[in-house]
Amino acid sequence: MIVVVGLSHRETPLEVRERLTVEGEAVVALLQALLERPSVREAVCVSTCNRTEIYAVAQGDSETDGAAAARDVERVIAELAEKNGASGVAPYLRTHTRKEAVRHLFRVAASLDSLVIGEPQILGQMKDAFETAKSSGSVGKYLERAMSRAFHVAKRVRTETAIGAGQVSISSVAIDLARQIFGDLSGRALLLLGAGEMAEAAAKLLVKEGGKLQVVNRSPDRAEELAREFGGSARPWEELEQALVSADVVVASTSAKRFIVTRAMVAKAMRARRGRSLFFIDIAVPRDVDPTVNKLDNVYVYDIDNLSNVVADSMRGRQAETERAEALVNHEADAFETWTEGLNVTHTIVALRTKVRSSLAAELEKSLAGRLKHLSDADRKALDTMLDAAVNKVLHTPTTRIKAMAGDPSVKELVTAVHHLFDLADLARELEAKDRPASPDAQQGPNSAPRERPRPADTPNSDDDAAKSHPAGCSEAAPAGEGDGALASSPNRETAGR
Amino acid sequence: MLAESIFYVTVTAYAVASALFFSHLARSGGSVRAGKAAPQVLGVAASFHAGYVCLASIMTNVCPVKSIHYVASVAALMAAGLYLLLRRRWRIDALGAFVAPVCLTFVLGSRFVGVPDQGVGGWLLAFHVTVNVLGDAFFLLACGAAVLYLVEERRLKQKRAASLFGRLPPLDALDRAEHLLLWTGFALLTLGIVSGTVWARRIETGSPAEAARALLAYGSWVLFASVLVLRASLGWRGRRAAYGTIAGFLLAVAVLVVYLVRGPAGVGSSHLAAADIHDVANGGAL
Repeated sequence: MIVVVGLSHRETPLEVRERLTVEGEAVVALLQALLERPSVREAVCVSTCNRTEIYAVAQGDSETDGAAAARDVERVIAELAEKNGASGVAPYLRTHTRKEAVRHLFRVAASLDSLVIGEPQILGQMKDAFETAKSSGSVGKYLERAMSRAFHVAKRVRTETAIGAGQVSISSVAIDLARQIFGDLSGRALLLLGAGEMAEAAAKLLVKEGGKLQVVNRSPDRAEELAREFGGSARPWEELEQALVSADVVVASTSAKRFIVTRAMVAKAMRARRGRSLFFIDIAVPRDVDPTVNKLDNVYVYDIDNLSNVVADSMRGRQAETERAEALVNHEADAFETWTEGLNVTHTIVALRTKVRSSLAAELEKSLAGRLKHLSDADRKALDTMLDAAVNKVLHTPTTRIKAMAGDPSVKELVTAVHHLFDLADLARELEAKDRPASPDAQQGPNSAPRERPRPADTPNSDDDAAKSHPAGCSEAAPAGEGDGALASSPNRETAGR
Repeated sequence: MLAESIFYVTVTAYAVASALFFSHLARSGGSVRAGKAAPQVLGVAASFHAGYVCLASIMTNVCPVKSIHYVASVAALMAAGLYLLLRRRWRIDALGAFVAPVCLTFVLGSRFVGVPDQGVGGWLLAFHVTVNVLGDAFFLLACGAAVLYLVEERRLKQKRAASLFGRLPPLDALDRAEHLLLWTGFALLTLGIVSGTVWARRIETGSPAEAARALLAYGSWVLFASVLVLRASLGWRGRRAAYGTIAGFLLAVAVLVVYLVRGPAGVGSSHLAAADIHDVANGGAL
């Protein structure tokens, strides 16, 4: 049985979350501590700035087994908290079991549980967590399958719904708008009006896109400094009008009290530009660019409010898509539950056949040692074959019927009854144990046999760039461009997390 | 029977391609699969379309570019082919949402114009029709790019989120594509005008209606030329160029429609009447 125990941004304050964040070797140590608990069979630890969650598989499938595993995971988390100087973690811990745990896993991977719904970084972080667990030897058949399905679900949600559509930070909206006008920004001329911190952050983003930088600032020294930092050039303030002729994207962020870019100035520049498009990102408050400039042909002006509105629209759009995404997640969780039940049924069938076959074989062995001692090897072989045929014949109907009930809610009762009638509980547990991951020591030991680990049938493509390319540190909630502090006055910084 | 079957497959494929293109554009983050499948289905439609035109013209023993019945159909086929050829290079995938339904309309429309076994003779006329049909295909794409440009430009000016048409190409890509398509179409139209004028002098017939039609054709040529000259000299690009392109295309279509509608009325049993041949010659944009 799968259980998930952990805490997230939903109910846990940052000062608690930050003390439970684990990475690197600490994750490996945590996973080993979990596997040392007798109730835990497999484990994966997902730890980001917004959540620390442990997905574990209990030794057995009963409620008691699940509860024992959950208790042990809670203890390990409590030990971790104590070690990191955090107290009072218990009230924040949330536990899910069985289908709810699977559903939670799928929701997290699909970014439905993220601070910024639809952000792609969480998937990359989960893939990293899965790889770490695999290399630590804490992943068996169940979690291998569950995590692979989670990645598959995340990909489906991203491609079949608009959960990741639009931009959700001021800076990424600005870049996206520039792309909607110019396409590729590589080689485009970027002009910074003002050389403060906000201009610097914007420059960083646009230069990263391949833009060529020019800086115009009232203080020439600061302009030079900023231009040098980003490999651009500085121009004196008096050359602003000429600079507008060669620029494609203008980021205005001065502290001027009135418009420094007027309609007449831009109209003149547009004539010299022979109508080439010009995009103003006016993040200054008060505004630097006269809003009527937007009325000129091929000129686009977006101020801080316009950019914020686009962000809000995107957020609303994503929210509207969550219903479809949730339905998809629920459907996949149901399918996974069916697979899990099928797995239990398989163990029961194998145990039943093993039990019947071994009982009959033992009786036959007795007879062959006594009254049937005179039989030749050929006769003994024929009897053995007959035994197999008899077992197949006798168990054909019950096997078929149990298999047919694999997706039925009442299958658990049937499995329990079969276990009880034929005394199969121990045997089925032994078979389940074969699916356990090999211990890391056994895996890494010089004399150990090579460990077999099934490959997931549907591991998502590794070319999921968005999922892979998350920056180091906290990125679950930080959309592209947000993490570098661009356009710091962005109203959605609070929603985007730290 | 076979040609009929291929025709219906063509129509169905164009309809499916149109639906897929619109499904892709309908909402941002929408059907990615539809976006990938749409150009492929359009390719299938164009292949069947080409097969239909070849087969039907062989069966009726009429060269497609010499037949009123096939002219609009061939223009649509060429537009689809050009789109498929250029869409990746010029990043104009979304233009398919314009091309596919137009192809569907032209193919269906061709059923009601003329009869397949009526053809017009003469290599000069064949050349004239060919360059004009090809030119129309370029203008059709240029007009599509212009329409998309205006939609996207309006959205950006009004600062609306990219919700409905969130997958349109960048403005600059549309503007550049429109300009290049217009240039190529204009060169072909010029050839068409010259060849048509030569042909008209040979025939030496005419009527006020035909003169008006020729006027439309010359008007479209002047309009396209103005768009190109004003762009080069005064930097009239973007919205103004888009309006000019659409207006020019509408004139070209008007010539084509008048020709197609009038054509059957004046056609003899197997060849165009002299008056209609003259129409073709003067109707530079066809």
